[in-house]
Amino acid sequence: MSSSTLLTLANDLAEIPRLAEAVEAFCEPHEPTMKDLMAIQLALEELITNVINYGYPDGLPHTFTVDLSSPAPGCIRAVITDDAIAYDPLARPEVDTTLPLEERKIGGLGVHLVKKLMDVSHYERRDGKNILTIERRLNRAD
Amino acid sequence: MDITESQLNSATVLALSGRLDGLAAPALEQKVDALLATGVKNVVLDCSGLAYVSSAGLRAFLTSAKKLKAAGGKASFAALTPAVHEVFELSGFLTVLTVHPTTAAAAQ
Repeated sequence: MSSSTLLTLANDLAEIPRLAEAVEAFCEPHEPTMKDLMAIQLALEELITNVINYGYPDGLPHTFTVDLSSPAPGCIRAVITDDAIAYDPLARPEVDTTLPLEERKIGGLGVHLVKKLMDVSHYERRDGKNILTIERRLNRAD
Repeated sequence: MDITESQLNSATVLALSGRLDGLAAPALEQKVDALLATGVKNVVLDCSGLAYVSSAGLRAFLTSAKKLKAAGGKASFAALTPAVHEVFELSGFLTVLTVHPTTAAAAQ
């Protein structure tokens, strides 16, 4: 069982399926449920989409990394490290998920889902880099 | 993601299979726009084969439902897998969108 997997991704939305496959391959020995896999893939898609769409306003090709690890049995951790512009997506205001159809806005929903689906979500800016850490305990009661 | 179109009663059924992520979401919005352009108003989205949806996919669902409603029609969502159901629930989509247990019930 590999202890960690380091992926280098381009700032291109086409990386989303490749990251999803890597998450599935990494998690498989830890026997995740379908909900676990989807939760981790979704959280990572939301967070890297922010980096890809808004992190590099120069429009040039860049790379950033996603480090997958298991810090404890039954726990999956992912760390996104990028040298994009400083931005803490977790600081967005909470979305109102109770508004009717006509008034619903989709902005902020991705981060809302990250917080709900992860047991840990943490941002820090260090050495000119954004470092986002998320963790999920597998087979959560919900 | 694959989108397969069929007719059931008076509804146009779009069976979604695979992953509705940020890459795939524009194709769904384009498909619904194309149906709207031909006068289709009653659309059932059969999610029984949908393994994954992200907020980009939810945005496509919400946009589609709003457009169909504005055209005097409706969008119904059917047969959510447990993982997709959880994301609908956490997003509050179970109350803003019309969700049925089966495609047959959604096409009534």
